[in-house]
Amino acid sequence: MRLTLRALISHGRVARKMGLGPESRINMLRNLLTGLVRHERIETTTARADEVRFYAEKLVDYAKRGDTDEKAMKMASFWLTEKDLVPKLFNVLAPRFETHSKGYTRMARLPNRDNLDRAKMAVLEYKGNPFPPLYPVKKDNELTLINQLLRGYREDRAQQLATKA
Amino acid sequence: MINLTALVQSLRRSLLHIESRLLQAAGLDRQLAPALAVNGPSLLPQLDKEEEVEQQQHHPGLSDSILWMAAPKKRRTIEVNRTRRRSDSKLLKVKNNIEPCPECGHLKQKHVMCGFCYAKVCRETALIRQQIKEMEGGPLRAPTVETVVLYEGETPSEQDKDKRIVERSRKRPAWFSQ
Repeated sequence: MRLTLRALISHGRVARKMGLGPESRINMLRNLLTGLVRHERIETTTARADEVRFYAEKLVDYAKRGDTDEKAMKMASFWLTEKDLVPKLFNVLAPRFETHSKGYTRMARLPNRDNLDRAKMAVLEYKGNPFPPLYPVKKDNELTLINQLLRGYREDRAQQLATKA
Repeated sequence: MINLTALVQSLRRSLLHIESRLLQAAGLDRQLAPALAVNGPSLLPQLDKEEEVEQQQHHPGLSDSILWMAAPKKRRTIEVNRTRRRSDSKLLKVKNNIEPCPECGHLKQKHVMCGFCYAKVCRETALIRQQIKEMEGGPLRAPTVETVVLYEGETPSEQDKDKRIVERSRKRPAWFSQ
Protein backbone atom coordinates (compact mmCIF):
# COMPACT_ATOMS: atom_id res chain seq x y z
CA MET A 1 0.00 0.00 0.00
CA ARG A 2 1.36 3.41 -0.93
CA LEU A 3 2.09 5.46 2.14
CA THR A 4 3.43 8.56 0.35
CA LEU A 5 1.92 10.83 -2.31
CA ARG A 6 2.95 10.18 -5.90
CA ALA A 7 3.36 13.91 -6.47
CA LEU A 8 6.17 14.21 -3.90
CA ILE A 9 8.40 11.46 -5.36
CA SER A 10 9.90 12.02 -8.82
CA HIS A 11 11.26 8.52 -9.54
CA GLY A 12 11.30 7.87 -13.27
CA ARG A 13 10.08 11.32 -14.37
CA VAL A 14 11.86 12.02 -17.67
CA ALA A 15 10.61 15.51 -18.50
CA ARG A 16 12.51 18.38 -16.93
CA LYS A 17 10.80 21.43 -15.41
CA MET A 18 11.49 24.48 -17.56
CA GLY A 19 10.22 28.05 -17.61
CA LEU A 20 7.20 29.20 -15.63
CA GLY A 21 5.22 25.94 -15.70
CA PRO A 22 4.19 23.03 -17.98
CA GLU A 23 2.45 25.31 -20.49
CA SER A 24 5.42 27.67 -20.62
CA ARG A 25 7.73 24.68 -21.06
CA ILE A 26 5.72 23.39 -24.03
CA ASN A 27 5.68 26.86 -25.62
CA MET A 28 9.43 27.21 -25.21
CA LEU A 29 10.02 23.78 -26.74
CA ARG A 30 7.65 24.61 -29.57
CA ASN A 31 9.65 27.75 -30.41
CA LEU A 32 12.89 25.80 -30.30
CA LEU A 33 11.45 23.06 -32.52
CA THR A 34 10.20 25.61 -35.07
CA GLY A 35 13.66 27.16 -35.18
CA LEU A 36 15.25 23.75 -35.60
CA VAL A 37 12.97 22.80 -38.49
CA ARG A 38 13.62 26.14 -40.21
CA HIS A 39 17.38 26.40 -39.73
CA GLU A 40 18.24 22.68 -39.24
CA ARG A 41 20.98 23.58 -36.76
CA ILE A 42 20.46 25.51 -33.52
CA GLU A 43 22.59 26.39 -30.51
CA THR A 44 20.97 26.45 -27.06
CA THR A 45 21.57 25.34 -23.51
CA THR A 46 22.23 21.62 -23.01
CA ALA A 47 19.04 20.99 -21.03
CA ARG A 48 16.79 22.62 -23.65
CA ALA A 49 18.52 20.82 -26.50
CA ASP A 50 18.08 17.50 -24.71
CA GLU A 51 14.34 18.16 -24.20
CA VAL A 52 13.75 19.34 -27.79
CA ARG A 53 15.54 16.26 -29.16
CA PHE A 54 12.76 13.96 -27.97
CA TYR A 55 10.07 16.15 -29.53
CA ALA A 56 12.03 16.63 -32.76
CA GLU A 57 12.31 12.88 -33.32
CA LYS A 58 8.64 12.30 -32.44
CA LEU A 59 7.65 15.02 -34.93
CA VAL A 60 9.61 13.30 -37.72
CA ASP A 61 7.91 10.00 -36.81
CA TYR A 62 4.53 11.71 -37.19
CA ALA A 63 5.64 13.32 -40.48
CA LYS A 64 6.58 9.90 -41.85
CA ARG A 65 2.91 8.88 -41.61
CA GLY A 66 2.24 11.23 -44.49
CA ASP A 67 0.49 14.43 -45.46
CA THR A 68 -3.00 12.92 -45.57
CA ASP A 69 -2.95 11.57 -41.99
CA GLU A 70 -5.27 13.63 -39.79
CA LYS A 71 -3.31 13.22 -36.55
CA ALA A 72 0.03 13.95 -38.25
CA MET A 73 -1.27 17.20 -39.75
CA LYS A 74 -2.73 18.29 -36.40
CA MET A 75 0.56 17.59 -34.64
CA ALA A 76 2.58 19.42 -37.27
CA SER A 77 0.31 22.47 -37.23
CA PHE A 78 0.45 22.60 -33.42
CA TRP A 79 4.19 22.20 -33.06
CA LEU A 80 5.29 24.44 -35.96
CA THR A 81 4.22 28.00 -35.24
CA GLU A 82 5.42 29.21 -38.68
CA LYS A 83 3.04 27.53 -41.11
CA ASP A 84 5.36 27.59 -44.14
CA LEU A 85 7.43 24.92 -42.40
CA VAL A 86 4.61 22.33 -42.41
CA PRO A 87 5.11 21.50 -46.14
CA LYS A 88 8.88 21.57 -45.57
CA LEU A 89 8.48 18.99 -42.80
CA PHE A 90 6.36 16.62 -44.91
CA ASN A 91 8.19 17.07 -48.23
CA VAL A 92 11.82 17.52 -47.16
CA LEU A 93 12.46 16.01 -43.72
CA ALA A 94 10.19 12.96 -43.93
CA PRO A 95 11.68 11.64 -47.23
CA ARG A 96 15.19 12.43 -46.00
CA PHE A 97 14.78 10.08 -43.00
CA GLU A 98 12.88 7.31 -44.79
CA THR A 99 15.71 4.82 -44.43
CA HIS A 100 16.54 5.84 -40.83
CA SER A 101 14.44 4.12 -38.18
CA LYS A 102 15.46 6.45 -35.34
CA GLY A 103 18.23 8.92 -34.58
CA TYR A 104 17.37 11.85 -36.83
CA THR A 105 19.12 14.43 -34.67
CA ARG A 106 22.66 14.95 -33.50
CA MET A 107 23.57 16.83 -30.32
CA ALA A 108 27.08 17.97 -29.43
CA ARG A 109 28.22 19.88 -26.37
CA LEU A 110 29.91 23.24 -26.88
CA PRO A 111 32.23 25.24 -24.62
CA ASN A 112 30.34 27.25 -21.98
CA ARG A 113 28.72 30.51 -23.05
CA ASP A 114 30.90 33.64 -22.81
CA ASN A 115 28.35 35.55 -20.67
CA LEU A 116 28.56 35.92 -16.91
CA ASP A 117 26.29 32.87 -16.50
CA ARG A 118 28.79 30.47 -18.22
CA ALA A 119 25.82 28.30 -19.25
CA LYS A 120 26.34 24.79 -20.66
CA MET A 121 25.67 25.10 -24.41
CA ALA A 122 24.87 22.46 -26.99
CA VAL A 123 24.31 22.44 -30.74
CA LEU A 124 21.39 20.38 -32.08
CA GLU A 125 20.96 19.55 -35.75
CA TYR A 126 18.96 17.32 -38.04
CA LYS A 127 21.23 14.83 -39.84
CA GLY A 128 21.69 15.42 -43.54
CA ASN A 129 21.58 19.21 -43.36
CA PRO A 130 23.30 21.21 -46.14
CA PHE A 131 25.70 23.04 -43.80
CA PRO A 132 29.36 22.11 -43.14
CA PRO A 133 29.60 19.15 -40.75
CA LEU A 134 30.32 19.68 -37.05
CA TYR A 135 32.78 16.79 -36.97
CA PRO A 136 34.74 16.92 -40.23
CA VAL A 137 35.31 13.53 -41.82
CA LYS A 138 39.03 12.87 -41.70
CA LYS A 139 40.44 11.45 -44.88
CA ASP A 140 43.71 9.60 -44.73
CA ASN A 141 46.58 11.36 -46.44
CA GLU A 142 47.54 9.37 -49.55
CA LEU A 143 51.04 10.84 -49.63
CA THR A 144 52.32 9.37 -46.33
CA LEU A 145 55.00 6.69 -46.62
CA ILE A 146 52.92 3.90 -45.11
CA ASN A 147 49.97 4.64 -47.36
CA GLN A 148 52.20 4.71 -50.44
CA LEU A 149 53.77 1.34 -49.47
CA LEU A 150 50.32 -0.18 -48.85
CA ARG A 151 49.13 1.14 -52.19
CA GLY A 152 52.14 -0.46 -53.91
CA TYR A 153 51.44 -3.76 -52.11
CA ARG A 154 47.77 -3.69 -53.14
CA GLU A 155 48.69 -3.04 -56.77
CA ASP A 156 51.22 -5.93 -56.76
CA ARG A 157 48.62 -8.29 -55.30
CA ALA A 158 46.07 -7.24 -57.92
CA GLN A 159 48.71 -7.82 -60.64
CA GLN A 160 49.56 -11.30 -59.30
CA LEU A 161 45.89 -12.30 -59.13
CA ALA A 162 45.35 -11.00 -62.66
CA THR A 163 48.32 -13.07 -64.01
CA LYS A 164 47.18 -16.23 -62.12
CA ALA A 165 43.62 -16.01 -63.44
CA MET B 1 -8.14 28.54 101.49
CA ILE B 2 -11.35 28.79 99.44
CA ASN B 3 -10.09 31.99 97.77
CA LEU B 4 -7.02 30.24 96.30
CA THR B 5 -8.86 29.15 93.12
CA ALA B 6 -10.34 32.61 92.77
CA LEU B 7 -6.84 34.08 93.28
CA VAL B 8 -5.34 31.77 90.62
CA GLN B 9 -8.12 32.58 88.17
CA SER B 10 -7.73 36.33 88.73
CA LEU B 11 -3.97 36.02 88.24
CA ARG B 12 -4.56 34.03 85.01
CA ARG B 13 -6.98 36.66 83.77
CA SER B 14 -4.56 39.47 84.49
CA LEU B 15 -1.70 37.64 82.77
CA LEU B 16 -3.83 37.07 79.64
CA HIS B 17 -4.79 40.75 79.71
CA ILE B 18 -1.14 41.77 79.93
CA GLU B 19 -0.32 39.37 77.03
CA SER B 20 -3.07 40.79 74.84
CA ARG B 21 -1.96 44.34 75.65
CA LEU B 22 1.64 43.44 74.74
CA LEU B 23 0.52 41.85 71.46
CA GLN B 24 -1.58 44.90 70.66
CA ALA B 25 1.41 47.12 71.30
CA ALA B 26 3.62 44.93 69.05
CA GLY B 27 0.89 44.77 66.35
CA LEU B 28 0.87 40.98 65.98
CA ASP B 29 -2.71 40.42 67.14
CA ARG B 30 -4.35 41.24 63.79
CA GLN B 31 -5.60 38.14 61.82
CA LEU B 32 -4.67 38.05 58.11
CA ALA B 33 -8.20 37.90 56.80
CA PRO B 34 -10.32 40.65 55.14
CA ALA B 35 -12.94 42.29 57.21
CA LEU B 36 -15.34 42.24 54.22
CA ALA B 37 -15.23 40.21 50.94
CA VAL B 38 -17.31 41.45 47.96
CA ASN B 39 -17.74 39.54 44.62
CA GLY B 40 -17.56 42.04 41.73
CA PRO B 41 -15.55 43.20 38.67
CA SER B 42 -11.88 44.07 38.99
CA LEU B 43 -11.67 47.74 39.78
CA LEU B 44 -7.98 48.40 39.04
CA PRO B 45 -7.57 50.11 35.63
CA GLN B 46 -4.40 51.84 36.72
CA LEU B 47 -2.56 48.53 37.26
CA ASP B 48 -3.43 47.40 33.61
CA LYS B 49 -1.87 50.54 32.14
CA GLU B 50 1.26 49.89 34.14
CA GLU B 51 1.41 46.33 32.82
CA GLU B 52 1.01 47.55 29.20
CA VAL B 53 3.74 50.13 29.64
CA GLU B 54 5.95 47.41 31.06
CA GLN B 55 5.25 45.11 28.05
CA GLN B 56 5.96 47.88 25.52
CA GLN B 57 9.22 48.63 27.15
CA HIS B 58 10.13 44.92 27.36
CA HIS B 59 10.03 44.12 23.54
CA PRO B 60 13.35 45.49 22.21
CA GLY B 61 15.12 44.71 25.41
CA LEU B 62 17.89 42.23 24.62
CA SER B 63 19.43 42.49 28.04
CA ASP B 64 17.61 39.24 29.06
CA SER B 65 17.93 37.41 25.72
CA ILE B 66 21.72 37.71 25.43
CA LEU B 67 21.83 34.67 27.68
CA TRP B 68 20.31 32.32 25.01
CA MET B 69 22.18 33.64 21.84
CA ALA B 70 25.02 31.57 20.31
CA ALA B 71 28.49 33.08 20.60
CA PRO B 72 31.99 31.69 20.18
CA LYS B 73 33.60 30.71 23.40
CA LYS B 74 37.24 30.94 22.36
CA ARG B 75 39.26 32.49 19.54
CA ARG B 76 39.79 30.04 16.67
CA THR B 77 43.49 29.47 16.37
CA ILE B 78 45.29 29.96 13.06
CA GLU B 79 45.96 26.21 12.87
CA VAL B 80 42.26 25.38 13.12
CA ASN B 81 41.45 28.12 10.63
CA ARG B 82 44.06 26.85 8.18
CA THR B 83 42.76 23.26 8.31
CA ARG B 84 39.22 24.46 7.65
CA ARG B 85 40.17 26.83 4.78
CA ARG B 86 42.44 24.28 3.10
CA SER B 87 40.23 21.20 3.50
CA ASP B 88 39.87 18.98 0.43
CA SER B 89 36.39 20.23 -0.50
CA LYS B 90 37.57 23.86 -0.65
CA LEU B 91 40.65 23.34 -2.78
CA LEU B 92 40.47 23.71 -6.58
CA LYS B 93 40.07 20.40 -8.41
CA VAL B 94 42.57 19.46 -11.09
CA LYS B 95 41.02 18.59 -14.49
CA ASN B 96 42.68 15.78 -16.37
CA ASN B 97 40.23 15.69 -19.33
CA ILE B 98 41.85 18.52 -21.33
CA GLU B 99 43.54 17.57 -24.61
CA PRO B 100 44.58 19.39 -27.82
CA CYS B 101 42.16 19.29 -30.75
CA PRO B 102 43.66 17.11 -33.55
CA GLU B 103 42.47 19.55 -36.23
CA CYS B 104 43.58 22.97 -35.00
CA GLY B 105 45.69 22.26 -31.90
CA HIS B 106 43.66 24.43 -29.53
CA LEU B 107 42.90 22.90 -26.16
CA LYS B 108 39.50 21.33 -25.61
CA GLN B 109 37.74 19.09 -23.12
CA LYS B 110 37.31 15.47 -24.17
CA HIS B 111 33.49 15.46 -24.16
CA VAL B 112 33.10 18.99 -25.61
CA MET B 113 33.56 20.26 -29.16
CA CYS B 114 36.59 22.39 -30.04
CA GLY B 115 35.59 26.07 -29.79
CA PHE B 116 37.85 27.20 -32.63
CA CYS B 117 36.65 24.57 -35.10
CA TYR B 118 33.01 25.26 -34.18
CA ALA B 119 33.53 29.02 -34.64
CA LYS B 120 34.98 28.30 -38.08
CA VAL B 121 31.93 26.21 -39.01
CA CYS B 122 29.61 28.89 -37.54
CA ARG B 123 31.15 31.61 -39.72
CA GLU B 124 30.70 29.58 -42.86
CA THR B 125 27.09 28.65 -41.99
CA ALA B 126 26.33 32.32 -41.30
CA LEU B 127 27.52 33.24 -44.80
CA ILE B 128 25.48 30.38 -46.32
CA ARG B 129 22.41 31.53 -44.39
CA GLN B 130 22.91 35.09 -45.64
CA GLN B 131 22.95 33.75 -49.21
CA ILE B 132 19.77 31.74 -48.51
CA LYS B 133 18.08 34.85 -47.10
CA GLU B 134 18.90 36.81 -50.26
CA MET B 135 17.58 33.95 -52.40
CA GLU B 136 14.32 33.66 -50.44
CA GLY B 137 13.83 37.42 -50.45
CA GLY B 138 11.51 37.64 -47.43
CA PRO B 139 10.38 35.97 -44.23
CA LEU B 140 8.39 32.71 -44.04
CA ARG B 141 9.35 31.42 -47.52
CA ALA B 142 10.94 28.09 -46.66
CA PRO B 143 11.17 25.93 -49.81
CA THR B 144 9.70 22.44 -50.03
CA VAL B 145 12.88 20.99 -51.58
CA GLU B 146 16.26 20.08 -50.16
CA THR B 147 19.15 22.56 -50.27
CA VAL B 148 22.71 21.94 -51.46
CA VAL B 149 25.70 24.30 -51.23
CA LEU B 150 28.03 24.57 -54.22
CA TYR B 151 31.30 26.48 -54.32
CA GLU B 152 33.15 28.09 -57.20
CA GLY B 153 33.62 25.91 -60.21
CA GLU B 154 31.27 23.11 -59.13
CA THR B 155 28.38 21.81 -61.17
CA PRO B 156 25.33 20.10 -59.66
CA SER B 157 25.70 16.34 -59.72
CA GLU B 158 23.06 13.61 -60.32
CA GLN B 159 21.80 13.69 -56.74
CA ASP B 160 21.45 17.50 -56.74
CA LYS B 161 19.08 17.79 -59.71
CA ASP B 162 15.83 18.65 -57.86
CA LYS B 163 17.44 20.53 -54.99
CA ARG B 164 17.69 24.26 -54.41
CA ILE B 165 21.28 25.29 -55.15
CA VAL B 166 22.99 27.87 -52.93
CA GLU B 167 26.07 29.37 -54.60
CA ARG B 168 29.01 30.50 -52.53
CA SER B 169 31.61 32.60 -54.29
CA ARG B 170 34.76 31.05 -52.88
CA LYS B 171 36.82 27.92 -53.14
CA ARG B 172 35.53 24.87 -51.30
CA PRO B 173 37.19 24.72 -47.85
CA ALA B 174 39.17 21.57 -47.10
CA TRP B 175 37.11 20.68 -44.03
CA PHE B 176 33.80 20.82 -45.93
CA SER B 177 33.90 17.74 -48.08
CA GLN B 178 30.88 16.60 -50.06
